[in-house]
Amino acid sequence: MNTLTNTGNSVEQQEIYTTVGTPTVENPKMSIRDMNVFYADKQAIQNISLDVGSNEVISMIGPSGCGKSTFLRTLNRMNDTIDICRVEGTIKLDGQDIYDTNLDVVALRARVGMVFQKPNPFPKSIYDNVAYGPRIHGLVSNKAELDEIVETSLRKASLWDEVKDRLDAPGTGMSGGQQQRLCIARAIAVSPEVILMDEPCSALDPIATAKIEELIDELRENFTIAIVTHSMQQAARVSQRTAYFHLGKLIEVGKTSDVFTNPTHQLTEDYITGRFG
Amino acid sequence: MTDQNMNSDKSQRSSFKIIEANLAKRYAKEKRFKALGLISIGFGIAFLLLLFSTIISNGYTAFQQSEIQLEIFYDADELEITNVNNEDEMLEADFTGLARDALAKLFPEVSGRKQKRARNQLISSGVDIQLRNLLEEDPSLLGKTKTVWVLADDDIDAYMKGHINRELPEDDRRIKDFQLVWIDTLEAAGNLKLKFNTVFFTHGDSREPELAGIWGAVKGSFYTLMVTLLLSFPIGVAAAVYLEEFAKQNRWTDLIEVNINNLAAVPSIIFGLLGLAVLLGFFGLPRSTPLVGGMVLTLMTLPTIIISARAALKSVPPSIREAAIGMGASPMQVVTHHVLPLAMPGMLTGTIIGMAQALGETAPLLMIGMAAFIVDAPQGIVDPSTVLPMQIFQWSDSPERGFVERTSAAIIVLLCFLVFMNSLAVLLRKKFERRW
Repeated sequence: MNTLTNTGNSVEQQEIYTTVGTPTVENPKMSIRDMNVFYADKQAIQNISLDVGSNEVISMIGPSGCGKSTFLRTLNRMNDTIDICRVEGTIKLDGQDIYDTNLDVVALRARVGMVFQKPNPFPKSIYDNVAYGPRIHGLVSNKAELDEIVETSLRKASLWDEVKDRLDAPGTGMSGGQQQRLCIARAIAVSPEVILMDEPCSALDPIATAKIEELIDELRENFTIAIVTHSMQQAARVSQRTAYFHLGKLIEVGKTSDVFTNPTHQLTEDYITGRFG
Repeated sequence: MTDQNMNSDKSQRSSFKIIEANLAKRYAKEKRFKALGLISIGFGIAFLLLLFSTIISNGYTAFQQSEIQLEIFYDADELEITNVNNEDEMLEADFTGLARDALAKLFPEVSGRKQKRARNQLISSGVDIQLRNLLEEDPSLLGKTKTVWVLADDDIDAYMKGHINRELPEDDRRIKDFQLVWIDTLEAAGNLKLKFNTVFFTHGDSREPELAGIWGAVKGSFYTLMVTLLLSFPIGVAAAVYLEEFAKQNRWTDLIEVNINNLAAVPSIIFGLLGLAVLLGFFGLPRSTPLVGGMVLTLMTLPTIIISARAALKSVPPSIREAAIGMGASPMQVVTHHVLPLAMPGMLTGTIIGMAQALGETAPLLMIGMAAFIVDAPQGIVDPSTVLPMQIFQWSDSPERGFVERTSAAIIVLLCFLVFMNSLAVLLRKKFERRW
């Protein structure tokens, strides 16, 4: 895993770090408390508490290997697929613990969707890509409903006008930016509450990136978005709150404008002024 | 400052010289390597050509068969047949006598027991079956005369194909001088000809080369391979999917993986011994049957299929799995909707190559009695039968000239099947391969 860190010490030896800024918000969509994540005996996330507010875009920034992707992937339990990964602490979605044994992980992932770093449409038609989620979750009863969901999802992902005449064309035949917007359309087709985005623009050119960023801003009306990014400009442009991660710790979190113009912690300041990272 | 510049300039120039001097060496190395590669490919092709040319030059004659034209008079009195539909009468009737009468009419001058016997031996001993079948097909023939091409004896056939040299002293050849006279007469009258050998493709095994064919072995191979395919494909794919997609990586799965890889290298006769001891000995399944043969070959091909299926599953990009999991697909849905369709071409290729391997396998089947002499083509998976490579093995053991060429001809047929199966594998891979 690229998120492995070298801070492989046990919890007892470490002083508990207190995050600078305000990690909590009122009426959070998701609230994470005292989260620790281990890969075998390596600790990737140390004692992080953070709230994700409703209809906000929160961005996670930090140098490589700081645990921001790991953090994101625990929010819809994508890490379950890694045998050696262990998660401690509580993560609540609308007050319900998502690691509760009563909660079905399949249902959780329908509520918390994900968009990955590399555009990964299925090797199927554009239509089938978007229709996949509604189909497996049984959200539609007939073809007309499905058509409607596909159209609205593609419209929301501002892809409809580009692909409406070739819905049967393979999703893998489009440009990188279109593919990523298709992945976003696929994710929103099941009407999730939260969308997790793991560096969604890192494989795209600036024009495609600008389109996605615009899209993220529009999607904020209906969805809560947590985005991991390497680009500080992107974080500044799209997010309302920014969290700075360093070596598995959440160093600082606050309003994006505050974090970028007036960082409190020395590490944050070093990072955003480009002294490392 | 200038000093430094000059220094670096100098070192640049000298290192450039070294690189230039080395370039020639590097290119020479590359050329040598290319030449070696070409030589080894040349060797491979040469051996392949040698193999094909010997087999084809030995075997092509088997696709022709000498036949003699006779005027057969279906004499009801001599046959003692009153009703063609009476099976007993038909079975007891002396059809060989009809052919001998026809021969006697062609060569009435022959006298003496020895010569008469030699004359009767011009035609194959299977002539009675041929004549009986003709009468069964057309009962109105009784009492009439019909011109029939009957199979010539294998010695005549060998002579016709140039395998017997008439310049040799009479004692050194299988065809005597007086027989040569008959042959010349028949040939001159157009009554002895090489025709396409349908018997080879429609008959089962026989002790007489001119009556021996591969149909029984082909059918046996078909049934055996069907059993193998129906057992090994589902089992192999299921095992591979479980190991690759569901099983946790631990000591047990490592152990299983090592053992599967080892099984792929176990000599195939060991599987035959296992089949003999367990399937025949313990479970008492019928011996010499495609059922048991297929089960033994399943054991043999399973490792190949599992290994290739796992490789195919591994080659499915993880991003597809992640995408499906991220959409909330259950592990089973991830496999059936995305991973399996993408891995299927690779799995099919591996399976067909495993099947081709099984088609050519002899040793394990030797142990379970498929080396028996079986004349009738099997009618199902529990009929005793033999398989193509086994037929080749048995014929290669026979001294008759006719079996020598039939051995090579059967090898040609087997190779054709193998080429067909391998091209099918390539085609399937091309057709179902999807890019992502």
